[in-house]
Amino acid sequence: AARVPLARPAAARPPAAAMAADTSKPLFPAAPHASLLPSHGNANRLSPEAAYWRNFRSSTLDTGSTAFSVTHLAFSPARARPTLAAAWSSAVHLFAGDPLAPRPKVTVCKDAAAYSPSFRCDGALLAAGDGRGVVRVFRVDKPTAGPLRTLSAHAAQTRVVRYPEAGGDKVHLLTAGDDALLAYWDVPSETPVFTVPAAHRDYIRAGAPSPVDHNLFATGSYDQSVKLWDARTGKAPALTFSHGASVESVLFLPSGGLLATAGGTTVKIWDVIGGGRLVHSVESHVKTIFALALGKMGATGETRLLSAGSDGYVKCFDYGELKMTHSMRYPKELLSVACSPCGTVLVAGSSKGDIFVRRRKKNATEEEEEEVVGSEFAWTMPKPEKQALKPSYYRYFLRGQNEKAKEGDFVISRPKKAKFAEHDKLLRKFRHKDALVSALAKNNPRSVVAVMEELVARRKLVRCIGNLDVAELGLLLDFLHRNATLPRYARLLLGVANKVLEMRAEDIISEDGGKLRGCIRNLKRMVVEEIKIQHTLQEIQGMISPMLALSANRLE
Amino acid sequence: TLPLLSPPSRRPPPLASRPHFPARPRTLAKPAAAAAAMITGGQSYVSAPPAFSADGRFLLVCSGRSVSVFSTSTGMLVSELEGHEGDVTAVVVVPPQSSAAAAAKLATHCWTAGLDGFLIYWDFATAELVRKVKVDAPVHSMVIPNISKKLKVTEVYAPFAFVSVEALSNKAIQDKAKGKPVAKKKELWGQLRIYDLWKGCQVGSELAQTRKPEKIVVSCSGEFLGIANKRHLYIWSIPTKDFNHDNIRKIKLGHTKKLSTLAFHPSERIVAGGDATGRILIWRGFGKAKFSGTHCAKSQVDEERDGVRGKDDAGTCTTWHWHSSGVNFLKFSSDGAYLLSGGMEGVIVVWQLDTGKRRYKPRLGSPLLFFVDSPDSSISCVSCTNNQVHLLNMPNMEVLKTVSGIKMPIASGDLSRRDVCGFDSTNGLVAIPTQDYCIQFYNLFENTEVSEVQVCERNFQPVDDITMYISLVSLSIGGNLMCTVEVKLPEEELGGLVTLKFWNQGSRAGQFHLSTVIYEPHSDAGISAVAFHPGKNMAVSSSFGCNFKVWVQSLALQSSDGKSQSGWRCQSVGSYKKKPMTAAAFSGDGSVLAVAAESVITLWDPDNNALVGVIAEALSPITKLSFAGDSAYLMSLSQSSKPQVAVWNVSNLSMQWSYTLFAEAACCSSSKSEFAVLSLLSCPEGGAPAEQDGIILIFDAENSKPVSSWSVKKAKGGSIAFVKDGPSFDANTDDTRGGEASLLVYVNGSHEYVIFDPLKNEEPQISKSTRKNIQTDEPAPIGYASIYGELPKLELKKEVSDIPFIPSDRPWETIFTGSSHALPPLTKLCSVFLASLLEKRPVTDE
Repeated sequence: AARVPLARPAAARPPAAAMAADTSKPLFPAAPHASLLPSHGNANRLSPEAAYWRNFRSSTLDTGSTAFSVTHLAFSPARARPTLAAAWSSAVHLFAGDPLAPRPKVTVCKDAAAYSPSFRCDGALLAAGDGRGVVRVFRVDKPTAGPLRTLSAHAAQTRVVRYPEAGGDKVHLLTAGDDALLAYWDVPSETPVFTVPAAHRDYIRAGAPSPVDHNLFATGSYDQSVKLWDARTGKAPALTFSHGASVESVLFLPSGGLLATAGGTTVKIWDVIGGGRLVHSVESHVKTIFALALGKMGATGETRLLSAGSDGYVKCFDYGELKMTHSMRYPKELLSVACSPCGTVLVAGSSKGDIFVRRRKKNATEEEEEEVVGSEFAWTMPKPEKQALKPSYYRYFLRGQNEKAKEGDFVISRPKKAKFAEHDKLLRKFRHKDALVSALAKNNPRSVVAVMEELVARRKLVRCIGNLDVAELGLLLDFLHRNATLPRYARLLLGVANKVLEMRAEDIISEDGGKLRGCIRNLKRMVVEEIKIQHTLQEIQGMISPMLALSANRLE
Repeated sequence: TLPLLSPPSRRPPPLASRPHFPARPRTLAKPAAAAAAMITGGQSYVSAPPAFSADGRFLLVCSGRSVSVFSTSTGMLVSELEGHEGDVTAVVVVPPQSSAAAAAKLATHCWTAGLDGFLIYWDFATAELVRKVKVDAPVHSMVIPNISKKLKVTEVYAPFAFVSVEALSNKAIQDKAKGKPVAKKKELWGQLRIYDLWKGCQVGSELAQTRKPEKIVVSCSGEFLGIANKRHLYIWSIPTKDFNHDNIRKIKLGHTKKLSTLAFHPSERIVAGGDATGRILIWRGFGKAKFSGTHCAKSQVDEERDGVRGKDDAGTCTTWHWHSSGVNFLKFSSDGAYLLSGGMEGVIVVWQLDTGKRRYKPRLGSPLLFFVDSPDSSISCVSCTNNQVHLLNMPNMEVLKTVSGIKMPIASGDLSRRDVCGFDSTNGLVAIPTQDYCIQFYNLFENTEVSEVQVCERNFQPVDDITMYISLVSLSIGGNLMCTVEVKLPEEELGGLVTLKFWNQGSRAGQFHLSTVIYEPHSDAGISAVAFHPGKNMAVSSSFGCNFKVWVQSLALQSSDGKSQSGWRCQSVGSYKKKPMTAAAFSGDGSVLAVAAESVITLWDPDNNALVGVIAEALSPITKLSFAGDSAYLMSLSQSSKPQVAVWNVSNLSMQWSYTLFAEAACCSSSKSEFAVLSLLSCPEGGAPAEQDGIILIFDAENSKPVSSWSVKKAKGGSIAFVKDGPSFDANTDDTRGGEASLLVYVNGSHEYVIFDPLKNEEPQISKSTRKNIQTDEPAPIGYASIYGELPKLELKKEVSDIPFIPSDRPWETIFTGSSHALPPLTKLCSVFLASLLEKRPVTDE
């Protein structure tokens, strides 16, 4: 008959709270002393937002040379396959697929830089400006075929080329350039619908279409002003306000009512419906902000305003809460940033020609989900449809089990089953050596020390050490090597190490593989190191203590 | 009214009495008299198995010389049966004389047996002594099987008691008469006798003689009777009908180990025996040959008899083994399907009799001694060695209530450590460290447990040698701070640990929560003493590691999360000539800290940590220091080979007087300059070890002549303390000393205690604690209510009030919503509905 004293009863015991009358003791697990615990509590946990962004895996896209900067990055609005256009040197480089793979580049102009690629709302066409002020339109699926249309009205580089986003407008295009000219094109006929000469008093470097109305555009210029244009009225701006610094980027927020502008080191958010009222101003970067983009968080469907600056940071701003939620560091100064419509890829272009890619790690279920979601760019996540439960579903029979208690309900909680670690269960069965080995295998120094202390209290530690077989002894020696000199555990573990060597010397010498001898060598090295440290500390103490004594005397 | 002990003046009080102080230099000036009022308590509840009343509402527990009756529903004391003059060893609830079945339920009669050699018949509902039967020898065990006697034609219930007494056998008496030297070991004999309780006389001769009195076990039906005698079970078959003491037959069942306990199956011929090594043996079909009456036994010998030794008269014998040490009790469940066993491990093991499968009730905290079932077996109780009786709800074995007595001292074979108790003098509590790493707070005046504080989060484990123990408990004078020291002994110099813990009082006395834990307060040296400052939150701990530390409580640090934290930290460290510090005490006003550095007393200013003075040497290392009240006198105790009790005058740093006297304990009154010393009497040569082996001397510090003296029993391991007259004890306080009567508590080696006024010179009058929580009985539910509980009171249905009904602006949308029974009556509905059909239009006058 096996002896198993102190075993648990077959029936699960109710928790202590429920049985105040039952004075039989709870089981106390072998716990380390409080002095063995690290003094600071749990390190500051990551916020869910930070955890989300940390979950991105970073890589870089190769562009070839570092001589040119990546001035603009744009994703195709087509969701099915992320397609990225990067303006670099005299060409627009295309990348497609997941992960992004390079496709043939679009050579915009042989001898001038390409700027501001912009996809049409269906993702079929791509427009890009160049250093001479000529805007060309290309087919995305045939990038090498040459321009379909060439729009020339600008006299200087056109850094703003934008297709309207909303309303399925496929024929118009907004361009603006360093010549302060604003043009609204009818693309098929290659003629401007209207042009506004001297729309701003300085270079126009920023422009954005409204996500809710295809007639609305915003432009920002180095004259610090931001202007809102309505294609129906043309000519005169619908709204003008000043950002307070040279505007590098403007962006409508998904509602269409808010406009974000970036210039200098600040990002400002304006209420355009309310007549250009400043809603919020964020001074988050230390150097000039060059680009703004919207990033969609795949997990929750929320969108964030991303800003990239030449300080090498991409900052993530929650415009709903009006607070900064995360910042990402890049090794080089950034000129452009973009996030794929489904939020899986975040790219940032540097002034040295690198494109940094951060791609979200996905799990299988999310991938499936993605297949289901249509190709239309949905700014807000569609709510999962609730299936009506039928009696043929398994869940029908489980319904209501996860119901939360309402206020005022009397909650009768189910007795919680106390969970005990493996070593606690073994200790309860008086299988002392197994408990020690189990704790050693778990590789948590605190629980190992707790088990050792419990064994000491039971007068079984020495016998346990004597009973360990070779593999287990290796485990113990390895553990001692790693932890014996930690000040928290040293008091017990150095003694244990001595005991092990004293008791098991023969086994260690006679062992075949030499693994144990390796462990002993490690242990020895560690001891030598520790002694060296102690010597140094003593030296320092010796140096400091006369000084302390001196100052104490002086105080008296 | 409680019956007083029979003649109060003739018999000495149980613990304290008039002294007979042996001749000694400077003896006492005058023999002191006993106190006017004396409170005793701290009896053991587990010296003998308890018994349930017939209806299961009361539990009768043997406690010292009385039987305490507890209510099983509340766990509170109901009454006490006082009449024995020796410890009560057995209590048996018996049916009344009239054997009507209905009356049997309400029977409230019991027989008790005591070491004073009396069997007493009680009506325990009224705590009334009905009848006394004299047995000449101390009774150690008694059973009263349910047997009847043919008296003229009808069967009449006749109580016969089978008692196990301690008496010399006839042979020994003869030997003694002849003057033969009898080996002392063999002198004591146990005898098994039968007494006719109605006639009050012995019937027949002894059934058996044993080395020492054994515990008798009887089967449910009363048919079988057994004792475990060394390696044998002796079983007698008793004719339950028409009892005749000549018609008793006996068998013996043998085993290779010493048997410790046995139990009979309620319906079948099965007997289970437990031995000292933890094995349980089950004999089935015992006594088939001999008890069945016919003498055809020889023919059955050829049968297969598994496991039965030799010619034992049993069918088969099986062995189970789970317990690692001796089995203390065995008990069959009332339906006979399970066997319950318990022992050293503190686990009740439930064995399924057919399969041998086990279930457990673990963590009862202490070795188990007895297990008793209530008659309807819905409640049972288990007695633990830590003086607790747990009432278990039977099928699921959940602890319903616990009857807790004062905890027993921890038996420790080795170590020079002595039993440590802390006293809370203002609340009249004593703090006792227990075996399962708790501290029990016990109210001395009420004789009840107040609370238990788990000092160290560890479960009780049955071990041979103690590896962890609470070495010191100290309570501040107000009782609102506690300090404990727990020591973990190292295993071959590995992992020893001394931990100092400070506790703050919770909402009421005896409730403490942990404030600060200090590991290794004096590196790895042990702590010799801890003392609290009388006024401030300050404590001192002295260690054998040659230093002492002054700890202060830093009050109410507001931590970041808003909780007020008040931790203890070390204010200063002091040492004197690298000598081990062996004792420490604060003076009455807290201005002076006295620390004993072995045999030198050093005086310190506790706030500035400055050495104020040194007093010349005592004879040997001082183990206890205490200031006598507010006076400048310091009392010191040395307990080594050169014992000494000395009084020092702190103001002129000199010795006032001293005795060479071995003191077990000493204490000082907190206000006056008197103190008490408990001293052990050495055995006078030739004489038997005196029953009263200690003496309490009350001194005034200025005078070396003792004020009074008391002789006491079981002084070894005892302790004494002054307690303030608690609110629960209001007798005799209003005279002589301005309402500040301080009483002396003496707790003896087995934790029985007595509280008395040491200076009163009146005739002894023993009173139990005057205020008891005597619980008034509620009528027990009977019949339907006992099974299903009270029916809810039916109330006549009230008139259903009109449902408030307010038609909204668009009544057709709302009038029919809601459940149909809540709809307003049709008469109301109709008009509203019709009105709703006729849509109202606001009349515009434009």
